[in-house]
Amino acid sequence: MGIEREFLKGSISLLLLNLLSRGDMYGYEILQEASRRSANAFEFKEGTLYPALHQLEKKGFLRSDWRTAQNGRERKYYSLTSKGKKAAREYEKQWQDLTGAIAAVLGSE
Amino acid sequence: MYGVDELIARVVGLSKIPSQKRRQAVVAELRAHLEDCMLAARESDHAGDQIDQLALANFGDPDEIARGFARVYRHDWMMLRISVFLLSTITVAGLVSGTILAMQAGVAIGFGIPLVKILASRHTVIEILDILSTVAAYLGLISMETLFRHHRLQKAIALLALGIGVLTALSDATNIHARFLVFGFVNGVFFRATQVLIKNRGTRTAITAACFALAGVISFQLQPAISQIAIAVNCTSWLVMAAGYQLMTKVATRVEAALFEGLQWI
Repeated sequence: MGIEREFLKGSISLLLLNLLSRGDMYGYEILQEASRRSANAFEFKEGTLYPALHQLEKKGFLRSDWRTAQNGRERKYYSLTSKGKKAAREYEKQWQDLTGAIAAVLGSE
Repeated sequence: MYGVDELIARVVGLSKIPSQKRRQAVVAELRAHLEDCMLAARESDHAGDQIDQLALANFGDPDEIARGFARVYRHDWMMLRISVFLLSTITVAGLVSGTILAMQAGVAIGFGIPLVKILASRHTVIEILDILSTVAAYLGLISMETLFRHHRLQKAIALLALGIGVLTALSDATNIHARFLVFGFVNGVFFRATQVLIKNRGTRTAITAACFALAGVISFQLQPAISQIAIAVNCTSWLVMAAGYQLMTKVATRVEAALFEGLQWI
């Protein structure tokens, strides 16, 4: 199942914040986790993830630091700040409101 | 198709990330990602020559990724450009003012005119403002040209004209007659246009000298009857100005490039 790129664009912040609320991760790990959880539904180009991560870091939602990963290599890990945790909750609520409203429209006669 | 290094270099080169340190961190981050992709491809038994291709194809279009970064860092980039513009304007204007005033002082001494009469006058203040606005217009044009892909000079001139028009209207509305703005605009456009359009240095120098000598004669015509020495001083002074501004065109781009490079390391 492929998801329209334009749909994904608007929801990438929500996805990233949500995934990072489960633990600190580096870019490649985030993509793997997103693929695993969505059964490979997200087929966006991997490189476009990084500007989105930098945007969230610039907004103060994420912080990053270089650490040694499980494979023994240095990787840049992203983690949520308290501002990011709050944003994750707000985005999730907005998403639920939006999908609820869309579902109501689609389900109506 | 790009190789790993070329792809990363292209992303970072077009990214407009203003800090050199941050660019290096992005290079390391993207390289780490591609390493992981290649490792995963190797583990899933892809053939050796397919591994790089697969990782690069999944990574996406470097220009699109660079545009993504440019959007994120656009304010920082703009701040860098404005800082470079202001610092280079002050530096070059100071350098050109010093050089022109020193040369004019030499001319004054040569003609036996007291130095105080030349340097400690309202004319000197006007001249320094003219130099400052000329350097600002010239460097402004160079900066604005980077905003466009085609007809860069023409579009930069149009944009600068708009800005000068607004500033002149504002200064007139507040009764501050900033004629130096118009002088700087005309002068800056003249020097940038001749630099871009006339490739031969000798021709450029000859045209500049002719135009400034003509300006000297015109400015003489506008003044009440003055002595032959004053006419000679006037014309020599305009030619000295032309030489100073020619110096500016050589120095300005180098100062601007050096500051642009240097500030990215801070």
